[in-house]
Amino acid sequence: MTTAGSHTETFVEVADVRLQLRQGGTGEPLLLLHGELGVPGWLRAYELLAEHFTVYVPSLPGFGQSARPDWIMSVRDLAAWVTWFVRDLQLPQPLNVIGCSLGGWIAAEIATFNAALFKKIVLVGAAGLKPEVGEVWDYFVHAPREAFTQAFYDPEHVPEYIKYYEKSQTPEEEIQVENNREMASRLFWKPYMRSHTLPALLRGIATPTLLVWGREDAIIPLNVCQLYQRAIPGATAKILESCGHMPELEKPTEFVQVVLDFLIAP
Amino acid sequence: MVKEVYFFTEMGYTAYPQDQARQRGYNNLMFPNEHFSPERAQELYSMYFDELQYCSESGFDGVMINEHHNNPLCMMPSVNVIGSILSRITKKGRIVFLGNVLPIHDNPLRVAEEIAMIDILSGGRVVCGFVRGIGQESIATNTNPVYNRERFDEAHNLIVKAWTTPGPFRWEGRHYDYRVVNPWVKPLQKPHPPIWIPGVASPESVRWAAEHRYPYIALAPPLDLIEEIYDLYDQVATAQGYTPTAEQRGYAIRVSVADTDEQAYEEGRNFYWQLGTSFGVTPRHWQAPPGYISREASQGQREQRRTAAANITPGGPVLDYEQAQATYQIVTGDPDTVIQKLKHIIDLVDPGYMIFWGREGPMSHKVAMRAIDRMTKEVIPAVKAYQADREKGRQSRVSG
Repeated sequence: MTTAGSHTETFVEVADVRLQLRQGGTGEPLLLLHGELGVPGWLRAYELLAEHFTVYVPSLPGFGQSARPDWIMSVRDLAAWVTWFVRDLQLPQPLNVIGCSLGGWIAAEIATFNAALFKKIVLVGAAGLKPEVGEVWDYFVHAPREAFTQAFYDPEHVPEYIKYYEKSQTPEEEIQVENNREMASRLFWKPYMRSHTLPALLRGIATPTLLVWGREDAIIPLNVCQLYQRAIPGATAKILESCGHMPELEKPTEFVQVVLDFLIAP
Repeated sequence: MVKEVYFFTEMGYTAYPQDQARQRGYNNLMFPNEHFSPERAQELYSMYFDELQYCSESGFDGVMINEHHNNPLCMMPSVNVIGSILSRITKKGRIVFLGNVLPIHDNPLRVAEEIAMIDILSGGRVVCGFVRGIGQESIATNTNPVYNRERFDEAHNLIVKAWTTPGPFRWEGRHYDYRVVNPWVKPLQKPHPPIWIPGVASPESVRWAAEHRYPYIALAPPLDLIEEIYDLYDQVATAQGYTPTAEQRGYAIRVSVADTDEQAYEEGRNFYWQLGTSFGVTPRHWQAPPGYISREASQGQREQRRTAAANITPGGPVLDYEQAQATYQIVTGDPDTVIQKLKHIIDLVDPGYMIFWGREGPMSHKVAMRAIDRMTKEVIPAVKAYQADREKGRQSRVSG
């Protein structure tokens, strides 16, 4: 186990997977499901959220340094696994969840078949639906590094872009990037970044849901936010200005504020 | 000893604007197909088929064919279409399919049916190779590269079973499911056409070929990889309890033969017709889409050398013409010089089969035909008569 500041990073055996788990803060649990680019570290946003919650950030199976079970071949498989994770870690249910991009898709899938798991859901630049206008940016015809710049509106002025993505990568980091790409490919090579059934299933979600989107999201176009909002009963949306696909890195303070307003407000 | 020699060309679409490709930094996958002219392709196809037909009739033991996608490197989008034409326009010589790209097929039984039909049409002249496809073909055909090797394995097992087990039977696998496997047309050769596995040195492919006792055909690798490739094959074979013979070793090499060394050297430059490379220019992330190259392979020095050798990595090491000659990835010269160089390869490999990648790029038909004559009249007889030097070559390594 390593401890840095207010969080710990451990490897735990959860739900049949040896898992890389970051955790920090105290109080009510808050589950964070990362996106297809994985978790680069303990982010500023996690730190701010940890002032109010016990924040759990697992590297999902196949991502980062977590093991990859062969049987997980789809986002729905992974969604089922996340419910086991919550069960085996004995987290009190229902709990709050934030899902970023791929993680948002996973959270939405879970909410369609398990209304008891989540108390409130935050979907951030969520994948899973086909845009009405434009296309989801294709990670698989672009170089790994291009994805990092594409995911930010103004990368050169984002401290966590500079910290995690601008520098040249160590061989170990390159392997992790490749692992993440490979797992992403397993999950959503075809159909790409979307589910054929999710649009119909979303209307069954009964959990309060907030959508958070960067207006300049150049990975998943903003109109997908509207599709989610129309499909999930009662969902609200917050759009962050001058912000790309990863508000949690690009605008951590504003991002955390809109999340707290939603999670903590009565 | 070399038992058979085949002829190969990629059938390049040589008429595309290289300056456009140079500006983009790549010449395939997403290089706009507005630069394709069907009329020009018609001329090129005619020329290439004439040459292949001539090779089959004039002293080669047959021809090798292949397929690529979204790529001016190669105008063969279906190896089975090319093979079926050759089965009717040639009367002798083997047709060596290297090969069918198994993972890209959602219905691999169609490959089993087509190969069976072509084997019959050709009078049992088919050699059936199976390949994984180059990385960018996972993208061109939208086949998940993560499952490339699993699909290759399963499609192979299904096809061989369809050829050898009386139908109907069911198939329920991880990637393929059939209620009824019962193809009506079955191959003429029994139990099925010979299966060969070509490769550019991926260790898994070498191992897989050896495990199945299939000949491994090294596709113009650099000289320093040869021993690794065939030593690995031998190790696996030993573990399986057999000793490989020359007939399990094939070797493809770029060959330019002319009246003089100087002339052949100049004509050999035609192999470097694609932006100064011989295999086109492809960004690394197309060449190696997610999961396509195993972790073991991708982190090995072998992979680095393979990538360099394939001469396809922009910004990476590009093999210039001189280096390619020094590493025997291309041999040029008058017949005597070429024979001497090929003898060196034969000493090292002791292959049962050689494939002369004998024409490429903007080389004219006249030059290609003259080179074919030189090969059939002078080079092939000398190569077939040559006994590998036991002191220098693989035979001494194996027996020692």
